[in-house]
Amino acid sequence: MAKVSFRNVWKKYGDMPAVKDLNIECPDGSFLSVLGPSGCGKSSTMRMVAGLEHITSGQILFDERPINDLAPKDRDVAMVFENYALYPHKSVYENMANPLKLRGQDSSVIKERVTAAAKLLEINHLLERRPQELSGGQKQRVAIGRAIVREPNLFLFDEPIAHLDAKLRAHMRGEIKHLQRTLGTTMIYVTHDQLEAMSMADTIAVMHDGELQQLGTPREVYNHPVNAWVAGFVGEPAMNFVDVGVEDRAGRTHFIHKNFAVPVTEEQQRRVSGGSRESTLRMGVRPDALSIAMTKPSESCIAGKIFVTELLGGDMIVDVDLDDCRIRVKTSTEFSGEEGQTCYMTVNTNKWHAFSKGNGKAFF
Amino acid sequence: MASREVIQYETPLSKAFRWFSAVFLAFYVVWTVLPLFIMFMSSFKDLLEAFKIPAVGDWAGVTVFFDFTPTTKHYYELFAHLGFSTYLFNSLVAAGGSALVSVILGSMCAYSLSRIDFKGKGDLFFWIISTRMAPVVAVMVPLYWIFRQLDLVGTLPGLILAYTTFNLPFAIWILKGFFDNVPYAIEEAQMVDGATRFQALRAILPLVAPGIGAFIVLCILFAWNDYLFAAIIGSGGAKTLPAATRELVQPQNIQWGQIMAAGVVTTLPMMFLGLVIRKYLVTGLTMGAVKE
Repeated sequence: MAKVSFRNVWKKYGDMPAVKDLNIECPDGSFLSVLGPSGCGKSSTMRMVAGLEHITSGQILFDERPINDLAPKDRDVAMVFENYALYPHKSVYENMANPLKLRGQDSSVIKERVTAAAKLLEINHLLERRPQELSGGQKQRVAIGRAIVREPNLFLFDEPIAHLDAKLRAHMRGEIKHLQRTLGTTMIYVTHDQLEAMSMADTIAVMHDGELQQLGTPREVYNHPVNAWVAGFVGEPAMNFVDVGVEDRAGRTHFIHKNFAVPVTEEQQRRVSGGSRESTLRMGVRPDALSIAMTKPSESCIAGKIFVTELLGGDMIVDVDLDDCRIRVKTSTEFSGEEGQTCYMTVNTNKWHAFSKGNGKAFF
Repeated sequence: MASREVIQYETPLSKAFRWFSAVFLAFYVVWTVLPLFIMFMSSFKDLLEAFKIPAVGDWAGVTVFFDFTPTTKHYYELFAHLGFSTYLFNSLVAAGGSALVSVILGSMCAYSLSRIDFKGKGDLFFWIISTRMAPVVAVMVPLYWIFRQLDLVGTLPGLILAYTTFNLPFAIWILKGFFDNVPYAIEEAQMVDGATRFQALRAILPLVAPGIGAFIVLCILFAWNDYLFAAIIGSGGAKTLPAATRELVQPQNIQWGQIMAAGVVTTLPMMFLGLVIRKYLVTGLTMGAVKE
């Protein structure tokens, strides 16, 4: 087990930077999720840790020991690949035994460890099969099994459950998290699925265009995104963004839009007013921070026209047209509005956000 | 899963075509199998019996062909007096040796060409196969001179070297294609598991087995059936079956019976090789390795 540190790490393919000046500390035994869309540099980051890519500049350290120049086999990491990368000509048992065999373990030890790992993953009845005889979920378990048969410094999981169906994915999320807690091994988990990152990780590193956007707990990333990009990427359904004007009315700053004028709280007023104040900014509000009603509840509500309603079993999503944009509201299934009707939304001002229109940085 | 076949509907044209292809294939089978069959039968016949041929148009006379007392005297003659066991051994060593050397060097070279990018790779790759573009005869004289200087003429190592020279480019071309189809992730998984690069290469060799199998067949066939190198470079100390068979055509008489027997001796091992290698030629071995 090891603490993993990234110090000013760069990765360039030719002149194209894939990872820019990355700095992350991942404490021993913690679960770090690297989250970002495809092409954001997250896989390059992981492959540099595994030793499958050279580090262009900077350092990656395990427990303060630089590992830049070590071959993969000397780094003592275990990796689960997105496409599983099982050995097709070997049985499940041989696949899982491979890392131990390569490290010259006794066959009795190998047998014991493989059996134990197979039991943990509930694949002990599959040990004689070949990979092509397994379902996607089973292959993925074998790939995890191959990683956990030894006690590595670090687990690297590269989108391991991206190819499974939704139900199995939900199941495996819980299992992988439990496994990491049980084994207590440091884990770096790369994913593009914010739900996976939110539900499993101790710490999330959100990356975009090769740059680290935010490093924090799932709660911090969700409730206090540092910029509009993170705010829009994390959360499902995604955050609503509305361009608003900023005006002082009766001593209180208001966010002004054709459809509404809502006052901010005192704390928020201080934050927006600090430094050079912008006359327009982007208001961000999550669908669950809005409440919707068919009668006008107060003066500071947002009026709009219902575009469509989507029933999602326990919840309902209502798409509402404002004059120049469309926003989504999460409400209960009792909501009875019909398409085309006028409705009124109230913002929970403790849970909304404001971002600079220029650089996207969050004011609150 | 849907049917993998493209459905077809019967039309008069397709029906006619089916008949035509059946007839064509029947002729084709007779055309290819009959010579081998006659060779096999004649090798067990006495010279007089072998030349008993029915008159043209006399279809009932075909039975004459099967009317003989089997004898193994030609085979006995070949192996007891004419030293064919040595020639068989030479053929096996020359063909097998060059196949082995070509597979080892070829797979390493093909792996490098498949996995590593370097400047001039495309040119190098083309240059490798271009060595096969000139006909063998064109380089025979200079090659003979070089082999003479190195004292390799008439030796088995010389013959192996000569065959390898021509098989290696071929091996590299075939095997590179197969290595290209093996996902990188499998080697990467091996390396993370604790393998060196070389161990990782060894681990993926089973996945290119169809390529290696196909190549071994082609390589052995080339060496086994070769007459030119065998006659010029192998002559004397390293005589192989084709060269020895040629010598059965003597100025005074042609030893038809022995030639037929030599033909069987030369053909059978290759047929056997085909049967053995067939199971390695299955494709789809990488199925299920990675999620495409």
